[in-house]
Amino acid sequence: MTYVIAEPCIDLKDRACVDECPVDCIYEGKRMLYIHPDECVDCGACEPVCPVEAIFYEDDLSDETQAYIAINADFFAHVGSPGGAANANVSDHDHPFVAEHPHRSSREVRV
Amino acid sequence: MSTIDLPLPGARTGTELIPAVDEGVTQTGKDFTSDQEVRWCPGCGDYAVLKAVQGFLPDLGLRRENIVFVSGIGCSSRFPYYLDTYGMHSIHGRAPSIATGIATAREDLSVWVVTGDGDALSIGGNHLIHALRRNVNMTILLFNNRIYGLTKGQYSPTSEVGKVTKSTPVGSLDHPFNPVSLALGAEASFVARTIDSDRKHLTAVLSAAAAHRGTSFVEIYQNCPIFNDGAFDAIKGMGDHKGEKDYAIIPLNHGEPITFGVRDEAGPLNGLGDKALVRSASGNIEVVDTADISTEAILVHDAHDPDPSTAFAISRLTAADYLNRSPIGIFRQVERPTYDDQARAQVSDAAAKVSGSAEDRLTALINAGDTWTID
Repeated sequence: MTYVIAEPCIDLKDRACVDECPVDCIYEGKRMLYIHPDECVDCGACEPVCPVEAIFYEDDLSDETQAYIAINADFFAHVGSPGGAANANVSDHDHPFVAEHPHRSSREVRV
Repeated sequence: MSTIDLPLPGARTGTELIPAVDEGVTQTGKDFTSDQEVRWCPGCGDYAVLKAVQGFLPDLGLRRENIVFVSGIGCSSRFPYYLDTYGMHSIHGRAPSIATGIATAREDLSVWVVTGDGDALSIGGNHLIHALRRNVNMTILLFNNRIYGLTKGQYSPTSEVGKVTKSTPVGSLDHPFNPVSLALGAEASFVARTIDSDRKHLTAVLSAAAAHRGTSFVEIYQNCPIFNDGAFDAIKGMGDHKGEKDYAIIPLNHGEPITFGVRDEAGPLNGLGDKALVRSASGNIEVVDTADISTEAILVHDAHDPDPSTAFAISRLTAADYLNRSPIGIFRQVERPTYDDQARAQVSDAAAKVSGSAEDRLTALINAGDTWTID
């Protein structure tokens, strides 16, 4: 099981969760942060610090947001398990679904 | 009184007598995950250790029903609930004693103790050192967060002097234990130290500990995010201590010169760290600049040295106050006869030699030794 970052993070990337994660498993993509499903230890430290409530436990995702489980996992398809975000650079790519997502400025701001 | 030479059972690995899974059966971490909801605080280092153990146990290739985790009391001691193996949440400080009984009675079980700095070193201090000197075939995982977490933040036997906690509002007066020094002093045959968040190192140490026949003692630095947050930030290079990791960790690898600090592969030190351990004129171990000495002078780590003195001296380099320096890795790994192997051999030898009916033997026992007939 793992925690998952979902749509509210896109174009926001507050990074409070990155500082909070005890195992350094939250990686930065171009437009969104991603949790490495194999490195996440399910501790839940990230979830309450997210200012936009973008982080969910895998089981708690709604039917509409289920896709983010695969979006987080697939982001790491070509990088494997780097073993810590501190040593990894900010990626210049995103999962295709995120890359093609409408930019926040053109969307309604969520409250 | 006299002593006799005991027969020594041949060298074995830690898991040699334990049934393996059937051929073709592949276990995964999920096979070792129980249906219990994990209840530690968010961010607790215990999650990371649990995940690493669940990921590592399949590598052992042992039957789940032949694995036992025994814990005492404390946050760490909730561990057995979350593993789909046999387990026992036992008596405060007494897990090593209960595990001694299990390991001695059942050679076909892989026995693990999960304990913390409070459980193992306060109330259980006695039980821990005696398990270590007996060298019972089991692995003891001591989660050291340097605080009492379950009781909400009182100082523990590994808390630093001057620490302000709920039970020491004007600072702790107690000199802390260094768990590795303690284990080496008790002549434990396998002593290691690792870190909750370094899964690769943790897994490698667990693997070596399980393979070792005898008591394997593993101290795991474990962050308590609620009552002692940041205690290991220097070791992890996190928080206010970003970038300090290279100088905070002294990595121990058997057969390699012990150096730490910045490693420049292309530089004149050939990938060695810019700090090194050497033996001083007085016989102690001290830290020097690598550039100031010859490469031959650097202490080479020998975990297999029968004499624990050098390992002990290395363990003393651990910072006693805020943990900004600590040797990490396997300090000691030596072969020594195990209590349980010898006890089983003694019992079966003695049983093979008896003759006569049970009643005659009981009468002979009652009349044996220091008995008198009072007129």
